[in-house]
Amino acid sequence: MAEKTYLQAISDGLRQEMRRDKRVFVIGEDVGVYGGAFKVTLGFQEEFGPWRVIDSPLSETAIVGGCTGAALMGLRPVAEMQFADFVSCAWDQLVTVSAKQRYRAGTPVPIVVRLPSGGGFSGGPFHSQNPESSFAHIPGLKCVCPATPEDAKGLIVSAIEDPNPVLFFEHKHLYRRIKADVPDERYTTPIGKARTHRTGDDVSVITWGAMVYTAEEAATRLEEEEDVSVEIVDLRTVMPWDKEAVLESARKTSKILVLHEDTRTGGFGAEIAATIAEEAFEDLDAPVKRIAAPDTPVPFSPPLEKAFIPQVDDVVAGLKELAEY
Amino acid sequence: MATHTAIDVVMPQMGVSVSEGTITKWLKQEGEPIGVDEALLEISTDKVDTEVPSPGEGIVQQILVQEGETVEVGTKLAVIAPDGAEPAAVADVPEPATAQAAAEATAASDAPASTPTSETVEQVRPAAQGASETTAEDASGESSDNGRTFVSPVVARIAAEHGVDPGALAGTGRGGRVTKRDILAFVESGAPAEAAVPAAPAQASTEIAAQAPPPAPEPPAPQAPAPRQAPPPLPAQPAPQPPPAAGELFEPMSAMRRGIAEHMRRSLDTSAHVTTVFEVDLTKVAQIRGRLKSEYAASYGVNLTYLAFIARATVEAIRNWPWLNGEIRGDKIVTKQFINLGIAVALEGGKGLIVPVVKNTEEKNLLGLARAIADVAERARTKRLTPDDVQGGTFTITNPGGWGAIMGTPIISQPQVAILDVEALVKRPVVITDENGGDTIAIRQIMNLCLSYDHRLVDGAYAAQFMKELKQNLEGWDEAAY
Amino acid sequence: MAVREAEPLGSLKEVKEAGLDREDLLAVYRNLLITRGIEERGHILYKQGKIPGSFYTGRGNEAAAVGVATAMAPDDVGAPLHRDMGVYITRGVEPWRIFAQYMGRADGPTKGKDGNVHMGDANLGLLAMVSHLPAMLPVAVGCALAFRIREERRVALGWFGEGSAARGDTHEAMNLAGVRRLPVVFVCDNNQWAYSTPTHLGYAVEHIADRAAAYGFEGVVVDGTDVLAVYREAKQAIEKARAGGGPTLIECLTLRMEGHAVHDDAFYVPKQLFEEWAKADPVERFHTWLRENADLSDDEEEELTSGVKRLLTEALRRAEESPLPAASSVLEGVYASPEDLDTPHHK
Repeated sequence: MAEKTYLQAISDGLRQEMRRDKRVFVIGEDVGVYGGAFKVTLGFQEEFGPWRVIDSPLSETAIVGGCTGAALMGLRPVAEMQFADFVSCAWDQLVTVSAKQRYRAGTPVPIVVRLPSGGGFSGGPFHSQNPESSFAHIPGLKCVCPATPEDAKGLIVSAIEDPNPVLFFEHKHLYRRIKADVPDERYTTPIGKARTHRTGDDVSVITWGAMVYTAEEAATRLEEEEDVSVEIVDLRTVMPWDKEAVLESARKTSKILVLHEDTRTGGFGAEIAATIAEEAFEDLDAPVKRIAAPDTPVPFSPPLEKAFIPQVDDVVAGLKELAEY
Repeated sequence: MATHTAIDVVMPQMGVSVSEGTITKWLKQEGEPIGVDEALLEISTDKVDTEVPSPGEGIVQQILVQEGETVEVGTKLAVIAPDGAEPAAVADVPEPATAQAAAEATAASDAPASTPTSETVEQVRPAAQGASETTAEDASGESSDNGRTFVSPVVARIAAEHGVDPGALAGTGRGGRVTKRDILAFVESGAPAEAAVPAAPAQASTEIAAQAPPPAPEPPAPQAPAPRQAPPPLPAQPAPQPPPAAGELFEPMSAMRRGIAEHMRRSLDTSAHVTTVFEVDLTKVAQIRGRLKSEYAASYGVNLTYLAFIARATVEAIRNWPWLNGEIRGDKIVTKQFINLGIAVALEGGKGLIVPVVKNTEEKNLLGLARAIADVAERARTKRLTPDDVQGGTFTITNPGGWGAIMGTPIISQPQVAILDVEALVKRPVVITDENGGDTIAIRQIMNLCLSYDHRLVDGAYAAQFMKELKQNLEGWDEAAY
Repeated sequence: MAVREAEPLGSLKEVKEAGLDREDLLAVYRNLLITRGIEERGHILYKQGKIPGSFYTGRGNEAAAVGVATAMAPDDVGAPLHRDMGVYITRGVEPWRIFAQYMGRADGPTKGKDGNVHMGDANLGLLAMVSHLPAMLPVAVGCALAFRIREERRVALGWFGEGSAARGDTHEAMNLAGVRRLPVVFVCDNNQWAYSTPTHLGYAVEHIADRAAAYGFEGVVVDGTDVLAVYREAKQAIEKARAGGGPTLIECLTLRMEGHAVHDDAFYVPKQLFEEWAKADPVERFHTWLRENADLSDDEEEELTSGVKRLLTEALRRAEESPLPAASSVLEGVYASPEDLDTPHHK
């Protein structure tokens, strides 16, 4: 057990899997010599060589399509999109080829696509997005969004093991900001199981990714200032998502705030809210509330970006509103 | 099973639109003997207050619904054990009641399948009350903010499961809404479901007193239960959590109260109310009444009131101004060849009012009207009105003048278009101009008559001309004609 | 720089040197007959209302498909398209399963989940195509990448049409393959019409194969109606790739002899062009060659043609006996479970 950053945890998990399983290889732009734009694969090429840590041309389609082909031939590719935003260039390969392959042709496509996602540092419209809901909507794909170093390691291992295409959303804002003890040994974190980040009685926040920390800060403030006890459920994986854990929390507190950094309309929070309405209606003591980014591209300038990404104050206000309802 | 099976007493259907009633008073207690058709209890519905006669003879074996509670029509209220019935019959009795109550308490999905004991009846019964959501709406007169009345899904479910009426709890949510935490705290406090404060038995008015709706002779938030007569010793009653604020007392809202509240609000939302006031010299009427009063009493046993004169003069005036007896129905104006006069009768203590109707007043002379008014007033007072007695009015007279009121703006009883408010008769010095044009001051008996009318149908000039004619009818009372 | 234009194969001796003996040649002819026969019967089935959706054939492309597939080794893999029935037949997909696939039956390779020629077979090294052409090219490159990473002597083949050559996938796939000298052969079925769009509105170079040079490998144009020439060029390219020589782009020039699909009468194709290319019908052309160069006898011919007829009749009967899929199976197979990874693909 050692203290690791979120980034180191991903790197460790990946390295362990590559040491353990020769089928695992990494491909992406600048992942080799440079170690990746965020240095997740720093030192990998020295250890595993140029044919397992492959610097690709600037070709997201070829990266993901290539991974699909290699996976069909029995390898376990891990692709890195330099930024999650660029996965749009590989949409067709993911959505048309990989996602539907198992259903129509019977052949699984065990690939992992790593997606450095999220904003908070003036990345602007093309380096800040959280496109998980777009892919959660595609049958056949899985979407993983770890918030803690421990989960980041456990989930990258699970993603590699999984026989399906898995999109691994790693939040850039957490890379070096979040540190925690991470077990040294190999372990998996189940895909589809939420984690209770904080227990509480009065209001539940359902969230994932970096918003777990925004929720935590808001919860702490609310508990100190208003004596409101807030539960935080970290979904950890958006597809499949842990419906039972969410419904359980809904039954417990009866007041639900769904929080995500992605934009509001059609965001995955809408699915969660609808499910709660369908399956826990008689447990509700207040309308399900959503806090999400507005329906705009991610703006660049700091005050604009701050207005875009849900802030602690927004969450505090939302929680207060629910508590007082 | 005994030869003589137990007899159920159920909440009667007091009119087609009536779906529930409130128990105002049990006239017999458990263990007391009762005869067939003998009054067993009093109920209040949004149409009428009435006595319920016993459907059989025997012993009141079990009272299932307490005073102050509102239940749906058909709910079993009590069980009469006929003479000779074996006690064993008792155990069978509650089953249908249980089934019904369970059906009403929609969330009570796990109602006992086997024959329940009377204990289960006790548990289930209040659930039915809980299901009738706003029956026990806070009587403090607090604004009907939506938050006050909104019951969230989870609160509704807990209420049904535990047989608690959320309306009887103080809420800490927005607008006073009862939150899940509120109701759980109440349930966990161990308070029995009946803690929804039972209403003190409503006392029937002992006098005829017509008054303008909505009357509020008593402050909406009573300071203390003092006015209530000999309140029965309440069971140790744990205060709901959190309890009412100091000096506040909760009581359930009766079906009648809710009916009035709904109707008054609806009327204001429907009609364009305008009130016009006329000063009428009743000196001549007073003289005639003085002369006829003892004759009416002696010959016909009828108390000749001023109200009878006013009603008679009103009917006469309506003949020439028929829209005041009319109705707006959709995009049509309805006029009627009959004049059914509603006479507002107040119940004592602000418990409500009831408006029995005297039908076909156009056919009645002063004596006939006086007798008819006395009849319905008496039956209202003794709770013997039938549903028919309160339906079909075409014009209403209300009479708060008995308490000295001199001015009022009454609310129209829908779907009528006018209501006449009869104020106090007072002696006033007035200037009288004689036939030579000379002015003198005289003492005259003066009464204000206030007419609220629906300006959607009746214009100011029309209403004023009606009132002018009414005034003339009264001031120049024509004994031969009336 | 002009690409190489392949010469036609001449004598039986030349062919033998290229790797095909007489028995192989008869097998090639049989595969051509089956390929054409399946599509002709499919046409009839479609017009009888027995095939839902739409129906595509590769009439005119039989020799190109059979020729390339004949050159593949058993462990090689490929992602053929809807004009490449000859590849499926040559690799060994049973005709009855193809009919079942056409008709949306439970025994089709996709169990009714997909239609047409959208089918693969892991045992036969065939990847199931998607409609988004040429999305399978990057996938084929990925297969080649796997072979390269594992240092296996296997080759991947990716098919595309001259129409889909305009899409970025083609470029990304070829560029990555060229950069990494991957064991992949790109086969362009150039049938001159992308639905109704002629070649001069699709690309500005003379040949699609001209582009190979831009990616650092060889391009070759071959007459797609000449099964032997196609075979020879494919064999050369595949063996070159197997030996570590990198990719090749083979452009097989044909004419699409029918509409884009059955619902298209191809009015936009000049009649004269059809007449001209009809003279070079690939099946007839090889038949003639066999008569002239390989002593194909009447008896042999009769045996071959009647055998194919029996095969297809029996295949169709069997396919029609196959049940339609149970409605409940709609939910099956969206996600794989770990045991599903135990396929020949994933060995």
